[in-house]
Amino acid sequence: MPETEISMLRAFRSGRIMRILPVVLCGMAMLSAPRSEAGPPADVLKPVTLILQWAPQSQFAGYYVALDKGIYAKHGLDLTILRGGPDREQVDYLLRGRAQYATRWLTTALEDMDRGVPLKHVAQVINRSNLAIVGWKDRGIESAQDLSGRRVGVWEGQFRPPFIAFFKAHGIQPQVVPQNYSINLFLRRGVEACSAMIYNEYHMIYQAGVDEDELALFTLASDDMPLPEDGIYCLRETHERDPAVSRAMADASMEGWRYAAEHPVEALAIVMKYVREAHVPTNRAHMKWMLEKILPSIFPPREGLWEPGRLCRKAYRKTADMMVEQGLIRRAPAFEEFTAQECLNVP
Amino acid sequence: MFRNVSIAVRMTVLILAGAGCILGALIGYSYVSARRLLEEELREKAQYLADATACRIEVVERAVEKVVQSGAFMLEDREWDLEERYRILTGVVERNPEIFGAAIAPSPHGPAPYVCRAPDRSGEVVRRDLSAEEYNYEIWDWFTLPRDLGRAVWTEPYFDEGGGEVLMVTYSVPLRRPGYPGEFAGVLTSDVALEWLREMIASLTVGEAGYAFLISANGTFVSHPVAEMIMSETVFSAAEDREYPLLREIGRSMTRGETGFVPFNSLANGKESWLAYAPVRSTGWSVGLVFPREEILAVVLRLSREVFGLGAIGFALLLGVALGIARSITRPLRELEAATRTLSKGQLDVPLPAIQGDDEVAHLATSFDTMRRDLKRYVEDLRSTTAAKERIESEVHIAHSIQMSLVPRTFPPFPERHDVEIFAILEPAREIGGDFYDFFLDDDWLYMVAGDVSGKGIPAALFMAVTRTFLRSIWHELKEPGPTLARLNNELARDNDSSMFVTLFCARVHLPTGRCDYANGGHNPPYRLRPGGEVEEVPRVKGAVVGGLEDLRFEEGSLTFEPGEVLYLYTDGVTDAMDPEDRLSGDTWLKTQLGGLDRQADCTKIVREMRERLRVFTRGAEQSDDITMLAFRYLGGGS
Repeated sequence: MPETEISMLRAFRSGRIMRILPVVLCGMAMLSAPRSEAGPPADVLKPVTLILQWAPQSQFAGYYVALDKGIYAKHGLDLTILRGGPDREQVDYLLRGRAQYATRWLTTALEDMDRGVPLKHVAQVINRSNLAIVGWKDRGIESAQDLSGRRVGVWEGQFRPPFIAFFKAHGIQPQVVPQNYSINLFLRRGVEACSAMIYNEYHMIYQAGVDEDELALFTLASDDMPLPEDGIYCLRETHERDPAVSRAMADASMEGWRYAAEHPVEALAIVMKYVREAHVPTNRAHMKWMLEKILPSIFPPREGLWEPGRLCRKAYRKTADMMVEQGLIRRAPAFEEFTAQECLNVP
Repeated sequence: MFRNVSIAVRMTVLILAGAGCILGALIGYSYVSARRLLEEELREKAQYLADATACRIEVVERAVEKVVQSGAFMLEDREWDLEERYRILTGVVERNPEIFGAAIAPSPHGPAPYVCRAPDRSGEVVRRDLSAEEYNYEIWDWFTLPRDLGRAVWTEPYFDEGGGEVLMVTYSVPLRRPGYPGEFAGVLTSDVALEWLREMIASLTVGEAGYAFLISANGTFVSHPVAEMIMSETVFSAAEDREYPLLREIGRSMTRGETGFVPFNSLANGKESWLAYAPVRSTGWSVGLVFPREEILAVVLRLSREVFGLGAIGFALLLGVALGIARSITRPLRELEAATRTLSKGQLDVPLPAIQGDDEVAHLATSFDTMRRDLKRYVEDLRSTTAAKERIESEVHIAHSIQMSLVPRTFPPFPERHDVEIFAILEPAREIGGDFYDFFLDDDWLYMVAGDVSGKGIPAALFMAVTRTFLRSIWHELKEPGPTLARLNNELARDNDSSMFVTLFCARVHLPTGRCDYANGGHNPPYRLRPGGEVEEVPRVKGAVVGGLEDLRFEEGSLTFEPGEVLYLYTDGVTDAMDPEDRLSGDTWLKTQLGGLDRQADCTKIVREMRERLRVFTRGAEQSDDITMLAFRYLGGGS
């Protein structure tokens, strides 16, 4: 199974993708952090670069808010955020030293490490998956059982395992149709159901004029199988050279997220600023939805589900087992080996 | 509010108020119907324009569809090598100016020839291989949608980076392997740059301030005057962001491929507008035309203002005419009113104004004149009648004086005598009456009489005068009361054509002894007020009314007064007096009242007291009969 993001990157180089990408490039321009007057002077700040998975959107609100409000500077970092995208393979950026930190899904990181990339987990931002399956009610999709034997669009690559696990857990065998980046096959009724992020595709379907009551929604995460998503990673070597920077990175990022959760209106305005600068073709209503939906997967809606910013050993184990079971990786590193968070004072 | 306003003004105001209401309703109706007409017209025009625009887009798209479908038909006919495929694609691009590029992407993955115009717009055509560098073309909509849907599709529009922000859309047809009709062998695609479309939509003249927009099958804005909405907002995200649920409904109708004409708040400036929309069937897009409502209303408002202006002028004219008419109608009324004001001052000779015509006012004037003449005659009659009445009244007044002079009115009448006390009053019900009293002294004898003639007024007064004259002369001669009454009766009854009569009580008192002889001609018997307090009627003696029949005999009675005893004579005016409830005073009342008198009081006081009590009894009721009272007290012991 080829990796979608890598495929996208290569496709981009071919030139064909140039007119397909929803992201408008603005060269290699870096987004520099405004200097906080209260923070340490610029010459003692450590220059650090963080590369995200995708173009600016509310999925990364916490990082942009921390940058915009001078939180990274307060923690002694002179941070530069690079937008990601299919044309920018984050691991390449780390290996070539063009970025020190990257955001990654847990499943992606496990695959990277299985391929031999020496990654170190620094912080776990999203502790509960936003993956879901959306089905047409008028095509008879009301419960998970109804998916059996029907055409269901499923993402490829690192997004796939949770869906396969879901089908297995429900004892159903849908006719899996490979799903690309768009929701058009679903909208044009080429499939009865499709993969969706609750904070993204589900709302894009709504913004294509489909009412929520026309759709059946099945979330993949459960308390038993939370399927952590975005985390902050660096090369093992980077971490070992200066663990304090990793700590500052984790602390500042989580503080940014906390500020975004407490000031959603301001956070949305900051995200929209970066969205416009990067000419991302999205809209405010969608970014608002995305921020509202992503926050409960960062800060637990009730006490005891997880500790914000930290990866739970059990969740890690469940995810790793699932990956091994589906043959996506040969083996997963031990939890202590995988994450650096035990030695960090992650808030 | 009109109470103090003239009829002309009131009439004018009311007529104009009515006319104003009608005019207002007409203007309102014309405004509403004009608006409806204009909106109806706009609806047709807008629908036509929307359809026409959608049609223009569709014509181009259908042409592209035909080209691609023909190409597909050709490709499915046999296997073509790579160079042949490039040549076919080059032909497609070069011969169809609306096609920007064309590609054949095979399935399974293999060399994918792509021919497109150079980005520098030189018109040159360049070749590329989409499968180079392991480009996975199998993940894109233009490949997967025709494959998975099994039919040709138009993709959603997208921005082409290489072409410099050019908006594109791709038409993609699934290919069947030659000889294996059921097997998917890849796709043939054509890219269409949408620049011309955006320019056409942007240049559409939609009224004066309206605009056009285009949305894709998913509701994404492909063309819109607000540039930042293009490709980043959908009609539904705009509805969500603006909290405008109606827009979502409109968007659903548009993406369903319906046509419509609906009220709408402009997304460009928020103004109330009309939105007409029509579908582009080939791609599932929808063209929207926005007409600001105020533009339509401006026309209606101008029309309404003109109508209102004309209405106002008409209203002013109507005001003048109505006032003129009202005044002409009320002019005779005002003249009549002035004339009656003069009449009311008594000038009945002033003629009333002559009023032409035969209407209600003329009739009123005639009636007024008749009334004036009748009034004048009546006043004249009244004047002569009043003169006559005044003359009679003065005569009666004189008669009253004469009548009063016929009875002794000087009290005390015998100041030289100390054994007698006498007081009397006579109050006729009218100016003159039929009652009388008399008394005179002859040696030691006091003669007293009280009488009452039947009837009232002048005849009674005359009869009373005759009676009194006869009585005095006869009494002087005969002395005794019985024979005196008998003679008087004969004198009066003789030639008594008027059939009048009189009741009389006559008494003579021998003052040295107190002996009293009396006779009664049908009169109320007087009362004796004893010094001890008893009140008793004088013993009755036979005797009829005097003057009725001749040759009557009158019985004579006799009694002796104690010193201090009072004899109270009266006429029936005292016992027949009525209170306001028409109840008679009566004999019992009189006797009770007499019993309650102070015995020590002198005769003057007794009479005045009794008169006062009678006045209390009648409580202001009109006096119906003459009232006469006479009180005599025997003091005894000679002069």
